[in-house]
Formats: sequence, C-alpha cells, structure tokens
Amino acid sequence: MKSIWKNYKTETAYDELMHSECQSRPVSHRLCQYLDSLKKEDIDKRKIAAELAIMEMGISFTVYSDEGNIDRAWPFDIIPRIMDAKEWRVIEKGLKQRLTALNCFISDVYSEQAFIKDGKMPGDIINSSKNFRKECIGMKPRHNVWANICGTDLVRDKDGIMYVLEDNLRVPSGVSYMLENRVITKRVFPELLQNIDILPIDDYPTHLHDMLLSIAPHQDGPVTCVVLTPGIYNSAYFEHAYLAQQMGVQLVEGNDLVVNDDDCVYMRTIEGLEKVDVIYRRIDDDFLDPEVFRKDSTLGVPGLMRAWKAGNVALANAPGAGVADDKVVYAYVPEMIRYYLNEEPILPNVPTYLCSNKEDLDYVLEHLAELVVKPANESGGYGMLVGPHATAKEVEKFRKIIQEDPRNYIAQPTLAISTAPTLCKGKLEPRHIDLRPFILQGENTFVTAGGLTRVALKKGSLVVNSSQGGGSKDTWIINMEAN
Amino acid sequence: MLSRSAERLYWLARYMERTENIARLVSVHMNLLMDLPKGVEMDWRQLILINTSEQEFYEKNNIANERNITRFLLVDTTYQGSLISSLSAARENIRTSRELLPDEAWEQVNELYLFAKNNLETITNRRQRVLFLNEILKGCQRFTGLLSGYMSHNDPYRFIRLGKNIERADMTSRILDFASLLLSESRSDEARQYETILWMNILKALNALLMYRQQMHNRINGDDVLNFLLQDANLPRSVSCCLAEIHASVSQLPNNNGLPLKITELATYVKAMDTRQTTQNQLRSILDGLQNKLGELHTQIADNWFLIAAGE
Repeated sequence: MKSIWKNYKTETAYDELMHSECQSRPVSHRLCQYLDSLKKEDIDKRKIAAELAIMEMGISFTVYSDEGNIDRAWPFDIIPRIMDAKEWRVIEKGLKQRLTALNCFISDVYSEQAFIKDGKMPGDIINSSKNFRKECIGMKPRHNVWANICGTDLVRDKDGIMYVLEDNLRVPSGVSYMLENRVITKRVFPELLQNIDILPIDDYPTHLHDMLLSIAPHQDGPVTCVVLTPGIYNSAYFEHAYLAQQMGVQLVEGNDLVVNDDDCVYMRTIEGLEKVDVIYRRIDDDFLDPEVFRKDSTLGVPGLMRAWKAGNVALANAPGAGVADDKVVYAYVPEMIRYYLNEEPILPNVPTYLCSNKEDLDYVLEHLAELVVKPANESGGYGMLVGPHATAKEVEKFRKIIQEDPRNYIAQPTLAISTAPTLCKGKLEPRHIDLRPFILQGENTFVTAGGLTRVALKKGSLVVNSSQGGGSKDTWIINMEAN
Repeated sequence: MLSRSAERLYWLARYMERTENIARLVSVHMNLLMDLPKGVEMDWRQLILINTSEQEFYEKNNIANERNITRFLLVDTTYQGSLISSLSAARENIRTSRELLPDEAWEQVNELYLFAKNNLETITNRRQRVLFLNEILKGCQRFTGLLSGYMSHNDPYRFIRLGKNIERADMTSRILDFASLLLSESRSDEARQYETILWMNILKALNALLMYRQQMHNRINGDDVLNFLLQDANLPRSVSCCLAEIHASVSQLPNNNGLPLKITELATYVKAMDTRQTTQNQLRSILDGLQNKLGELHTQIADNWFLIAAGE
C-alpha cells in the first residue's frame, strides 16, 4: 500500500512533522506512523466526527456581514502540530522573560520613562502612540503588572528558529479554541492520546482565575471576579462565555455594572448591588469608560476609570497596557530585556524596519515587493501587505499609504513560515502555521503548554487569522524522555 | 446572580417548556384525529385557536389543512409562537447564560436545535413528523432531567423552575380553553358520542391520563378532568401544582417582596374555582381570568428581579 506521506512536499519551508517526504521527525514519528496505518476512509470518518463535535459543542466564532452576524463553526484540522518538550521549555522561558520585560517597560512608560531618558527609544514613539493613555500616568497596578494576559505569536522560519512575530497585550483571544481543540482531539484520536505523553493544557482556567484573584485590590476575604464582554455580537463572545463558565464567575455586559459615588464597581443582581473586585475585561480601552475615552461607547461602564484609579477595582489587562502592543514598540523589546532584566533575549524578534526611521523607510520603499508591511496598531491581520503575494497595484497603493504616515508602519522580511501536514480534501498537504501561546502574569507567571496553532487553510497563504480563512490545530508538547 | 442572567434563565425555561408543549400538543392531536371517524367536527384548526394565532395563520395561509397548520405551528420561523422559534429563542438564551449551567445543558439545547433545523422539511410527511416530534420530546425531557440531576438547586435553578412552571400553568389553562370548545351546547350528538375519547386526549396532551385513572377511579368525564387539571395537588401539570412550584421557588429567592403572598392568593383563587355545571361561556371567562392573572404574575416577577422588565 502506498504511504500517505508519499508526495508530501517539504522543500519550501520547515515542516513541523516531516523531515522530508516519507520521513517524519522523531517527535512526530508515532503520529505519522499511526496516520499511515489508517485507511483513507478512517481518516475521513474522524474528520467528520470532529466537525460534528464542533457543531454540537457549539464552538463558533462570529463573522460580520451585511446580512447580519453569522455564527460559523470553528474550522479545525484534526492533524495535531507537535513540538518536543525540550524545545518548548526554552520557549516558555523566553516568553516569561519577554512579558516580564514588557511589563517593566509599561510601568516605566507611565512613571519615570527612564528607557526614553536613557536614550534607548525616541520619546516620539510613545507620544504618538494611539494606545498611550495619559490618564494612566502615575498608576501602580498590583505587582507592577499591566499586561496580565498576553498572547504572543511565534513563527518558525526556514532556518528552524522560532521568532516572535508580535505580542498581543490588549485583549488577546483564542485560548478557548486551544482548550476546545484538545477536547475534540481526545474524542477523535483517543487511542493516540492514551499512549503519548502530551503535556496537559486544561488547567488554564484555574491559572487564569488564580491570577485574577492575585491582583484583587484587597487580599482578605472573598474576592468577586467577573468577565466583561462587549456582548453577543462580538466575534469572541463564545470565548468570553466559555472562560467565565470554566472559572465559575459571572459574565457581565457594561450595563450590568455600575460605579457608585463611593467609586466602587457594583453589579446588578437579583439581590441588589454586589461589589466587584476584579474585572477581566474583554473590551478595548477605547470603549471601556465613556466618561474618559470614547463618549459614544455603550459597551463600557461610566466611571470605571475612576474606580480603577481609586484602587477599588482591578482591571486585567490594565488600561494603557496596549502601549506596548504596537509594532514599533515591538522592535525595541530585545533592548528592553537587556535594559530592565540585564539578560540576553532568549527568543529573537523578526528583523523589523521602522518606517519612522529615514534609512529604514528608504530601504522599505525600495524593497516593498519582498517585504511584509504591517500597520503598527491593527490586529486580526487587517490592513497589511504581503509583498511577494501582492499585485503591482497593491504595492503602489501601500507606497503612498506608508509615505503619508510612516510612524504607523513597519516592515519585515517575508518569512518562509513553517508548515504542518493538514487534511485537505482527504489528502495531507503542507499548510503554513503559527503558534500563539498565552502567558499569564500576576503574582506568578504561567505559560500554557503549547498554545493555539493557527493554520492558513488556503494553499500557499501566509494569513492564519480565522476572519480570513484560517483554521486551527491542536498543539502537542511531547515529553520525549518519558516515551 | 445577575438580574440579566435571571431573566435569561427564566426565558430559557419558558421557551424549552413551550417547545415541549407544542410538540406534545401536535402529536396528541394527530393521534386524536386518527381515532375519530370522519365527519366529527374536530380538525386541525382547533390547534391555532389555542395559541390565539388564528389571524396570523390566515395572513400567511389560505387553507387551514393539516399541512399548513403543522408547518405553521412547528417550522414557521417567521411565526414567533412556532416550535422552531421557541427552540431558537431557548438556544439564544442559553447561549448567553452558559456560565451558569453545566456544559451538557448548552450542548443538549444546541443539538436539539440543530436537529430541528436540519429536519424542518421532513414534517410534511406524517410518519416523519411523528419521528420528529418524538425526538423533540425526548430532547426536552433530557434537558429537564439533566438540569435536575447535574445542577445545584440554587438561585439560577429556581429561576428555571419558575419560568417552566409559569409556562406550564399557562399552557394547561390554554388546553382547558380548547376543551371548553368541546362543551359547546351546539355540539352534535355524534360529537357527544366521542366525548370520552376527546377528554382522554386532553389528558394525554398534559401527560395526565395514567395519573387521572389512578386518582379518580371512575369513568372519564369532563367535570372531573377539568377539576383534576386545575386543582389536583400532585399532578405536575395541574395549575395548582404549578402554582405550588412557583411558590416554592419564589419563597427561596432573595428580595421576593411579598410575592409569595400574592401567589398564595392566586392558588386560593384556583382552588375555589367551580367548574362543575358551567356553560361554555362561563368556563371560558373563568379561564380567561386565570390567564390574565398568570400574565400579571409574570409582570410582577419581571419588575422585581429582571434588568429591564421584559414583555413577551
């Protein structure tokens, strides 16, 4: 019988599971062999079983369209992505190091700004950042941590090295899909999970809850945490509800909360008003408090900033933390690690050209067709240019956009980001993937074992965002020594 | 517990109960029509009379036949009172209250909804319709059982119990309203001849036939059935029993502001109802009064606990 790994192409990029056609990497050996032992119909059956489970579990995300908001089933590929625990432990350390430095930086930005005074970064970058909130100057969140929840995107280049692509410090999403992906895989490949030593991930909600408790304004007596969602029309509503349920806390919307004259936050319950101590908010700064930020926000809570500044409520992430979620600031993270921690960065950045630098700008404009250009403050893969995949017209359009507002654009070389075998119409084909681990920081720091692997389902595509045709995979960190 | 959540769970329970009631009603009616000889003045139209949706039905349909009426009641997504609309509303309410319920509760409602949605077209065929309705009934029962077995009997559970019993009491009173049509003075001798079968089906529509037999020991007659369904203390779908459940839930809820007393008054009112020897018109006005009082009770509950007092 012909192997399913015959004709599997690994030449264009590093493949996570396959060393070359028909030759698996040590870490994925058992999986690849197992898949080869299944009949094609068997694999199809499991795919169908996974789709059914997704429908029944109601794992969905919302797509905005003219015909109203539609709930789409979460696109999931049943073939897991695998990494060796030995490699993972290094990455984990690197992620902790990175978030620690970022939090030092945010604290610094809202106090002395020593990083800038010492000439490590031009002050303009902060002053012109739309996520810098002057209202936060002088604030001291508990443990000096501003970004309590971070989703850091990692990609592996052709050379096999993992690079940090970006740090999501505002309201990173995807962790519920990471958890649900494992639940589905357990249903689809129970025999495999039994025999392979995969690090567990389902303790995330417990760690999240512990972290939230650790940042409460008072540490004596019971603490009330809530998850604040913009509501059912938000694309991540499923996740908000999921996390609230897993932690056993209330999921609230803006109008469930009220700030009284005592500058404390209360929720409206059947027993009257009940005090809230910690809010895991999944609403952007802009919409958080109409008294301070956008006046037209109906999603937020009037007075919330007042309560936060009075130290009566903890917000995760803290308002203003997004200042470090800026692709220009990103370029300075390795320097932050050296400056604040006196350590060498464990995880490298992707080389980044800042269009605000004259020299960089010239280089970028000259090499537009080879580069990936990104706006400094967008998420979801919107508003970016992938040079090698763009038409000449698109490239010219971007040239204009960049020249008009150089501060808001960065460029990076187009990486040959790694691939993993993905089930496409019954056949295994390489598709590009990234990895988003989630890091929690409060009193302690915690990193998920692995994270959410996102996959660009379209052949050749490098865009993994679910809003743009991306799917996801379960991520296995395997302890090889135990096997 | 959030006021918003209380409201959503209350409506979740009402819509699930309504889904089950519609399914049972259509199912029992199908059986009844199979039993009765042709020519007896019973047909599908009675079903739209119960739901007071005659006008909306005729805006959409010309003929009141089996096909149109079952489609209207079961699968018309534009009619708010249809089974699929109720189930879909239940799903929206549970989708937004998942954090309060066991995982399986959401999965159960979601699965049931997907099943209904994927089988809307099959109900035209009578045999397929039977299967469809059975599946819905089973799903609703699984949901009820799951909550009672998996969920702490806490405030969220109390709002579910509250919603379910208000909906039940309302449905029972509507079915009795339907029964009052059978008492019409002008009914033919032939209809009188089949009266026992009609009353049996009324009992079946409320899952009460066996319990009636055990309790009443004598042959089925209209007066007894009416009394049993209004006033029996043990039958889960009798109005009195629903009120007792409502009373128990409300009494354990915080800030109930004198509501238990009002429910006791309503229960006394129901116990004092005298439906023996009433004419059709008298019975209808008694039942109308009851439905209005149940409506008032809903408003009091909403005013007392919900974020925004919701109308139906």
